[in-house]
Amino acid sequence: MKKLALILAMALSTSAYAGELVDVDKGMQGRMNHEMLYADDCEACHTGDAKKFVDDSSCIACHGEINEIELDTEKLVMPEANPHKSVHYNQGASCLACHAEHQTKKPVCSECHRTWFDEM
Amino acid sequence: MSNRRSFLKLSAGLAAGGLAAGLSSTANASECVADIKWHEEVDLLVIGSGFAGQSVAVNANREGLGKVLVLEKMQVIGGNSAINGGWFAVPKNPVQLAQGINDDSPAELVKDQMIAARGMGNEQMLTKIANEALNAYNMCLDAGVKFKKDFNIQVGGHNKARAVRVEHGTGGDIVTKLYEAGVREGVDYRLQYKVEDFIMNGNEIEGVVVRRGYRFPDESTGELINIRANKGVVLATGGFTRNMELRAAVDPSLDPSLDCTNHLGATGEATLTAMAHGALPVHMNMIQTGHWGSPDEGGFGWSNALLSIGWHKGIAVNPTTGTRIMDERADRLTCSTAIMACRHKDGSPAYPLVFFNKNDHLGDARVTRAVRDEMAWEMDSLEQMADKFNVPLAQLKATVKQWNDYVAKSEDPDFNRKMDTAVKLKAPFVVSRVWPKVHYCMGGLKTDIDGRVVNARTMKPIKSLYAAGEVIGGVHGHARLSSCACLEGLAMGFILPKSIKADA
Repeated sequence: MKKLALILAMALSTSAYAGELVDVDKGMQGRMNHEMLYADDCEACHTGDAKKFVDDSSCIACHGEINEIELDTEKLVMPEANPHKSVHYNQGASCLACHAEHQTKKPVCSECHRTWFDEM
Repeated sequence: MSNRRSFLKLSAGLAAGGLAAGLSSTANASECVADIKWHEEVDLLVIGSGFAGQSVAVNANREGLGKVLVLEKMQVIGGNSAINGGWFAVPKNPVQLAQGINDDSPAELVKDQMIAARGMGNEQMLTKIANEALNAYNMCLDAGVKFKKDFNIQVGGHNKARAVRVEHGTGGDIVTKLYEAGVREGVDYRLQYKVEDFIMNGNEIEGVVVRRGYRFPDESTGELINIRANKGVVLATGGFTRNMELRAAVDPSLDPSLDCTNHLGATGEATLTAMAHGALPVHMNMIQTGHWGSPDEGGFGWSNALLSIGWHKGIAVNPTTGTRIMDERADRLTCSTAIMACRHKDGSPAYPLVFFNKNDHLGDARVTRAVRDEMAWEMDSLEQMADKFNVPLAQLKATVKQWNDYVAKSEDPDFNRKMDTAVKLKAPFVVSRVWPKVHYCMGGLKTDIDGRVVNARTMKPIKSLYAAGEVIGGVHGHARLSSCACLEGLAMGFILPKSIKADA
């Protein structure tokens, strides 16, 4: 899959944005920008039973590795609070630690840094 | 021989959810099995990716022990090691020597640890660990870990300045670099692999049942696979401070409302699984509370960094009385006990105030970030402080005046605090509130001094089962000293590979 060059913003204020949750299939929600994946079917991301196993490979195929994905640093509380290059985990973090496809999720950083990161 | 292999029959709740069903495709949970389908085979299996797991993995790989696989159940590496304060006790470290402190040694460190252990520590093991401190420090340097320049201080309970600290003040600085080194050198790491059970052959561990694709904390996620470990399984799974039932079972005195500094996955199931297969638990009720927790932030937080100023340069005051409560530089157990004695009449916590001079630390990142995140406040006067935190003003003023007299005489008749770093207090102040957080399990699995897990019935090692780091019990006794968990985890990485080699 062609790698997309993405600049993700920490908080987007427009009413409809790329990562917004929308109804996609049988009551299941998914990200608006992933509509083409749902057209393929669940196995575009889930290799096999969805409950059994899902990993970052399908995320990485489009978005790149965690350290390659740039954030809008102006939206960060401070430069060090960059979740894609964090001092705690750096490359040792799964996409799923902070992002969920079918629901909103609290990022792992917010377990301690309560005021820094909104739901992803 | 194979008919002596056994799985553990786990609790009904877990089995109903998926384990029994999942196992049926590979082996029946309750009966002996003739053959096990191994989905994967490695030489060394390391469970957990904190300081201990990372160090064991990297060093085992360097020692040529073969294919090393590290399993981490969470979606991030490092466990508590990735979020802790990054303090690291290293006797004879270069900064210490440059400071002119030439009379420290591993034995001096062990002496301090044995005092804090209150008769319950393991001197032989602490000595073995302390002797590897410099090796562990150099391993970090080689991996690219940056330490704070010229920084080496004396932390609570130590008799010498011997604690260095990493650049960003969090063990993540170490965990991320060791991870990079491991990946570079061929160690295999997997996130979301949770160990469900051990596969035993009599008194020997052959492998583990793993829930692959586990999404914490949903026990129904993932699928069960069997991984064989030819040379051994190393438990580096940390403590169990987030397992409220287990915590309450072994130490009912722990206030269940106490927050916890640990990552959410510190639930101890590997410890329990090992026990169910015969491992001997020791000191399980010895659970340390960090006395430097802030009720105004989550998890580990900034508080401990801020208080590395506060304990040295400031004082801790009970807000209900306006008086000091302790030797601010004493060890954790002493301080936690004194802090938790501060209560309102209805028994609710009266969070003690720790404060120091704002103008002595202008621009210090520890202060600016604490104030920014609203877990510390700048106060222009004692009046303002008394007003905000409801402290009796007259007594607060008297306490500060008396403290300043103590500083002038360089002695503390109230608590016999060491006064070499004490300064006179003068407004404006930086003020934070403290309340202990459950922090560290001194107890865990009994090992021999080489890290072999001991069988409770025979007091001999369970063959091929090793453990390192917080999952081990009986090392630190009643109170682990600050900066010594980092040391223990990293140092065991030099000890275990030798044991595994010797047993092969």
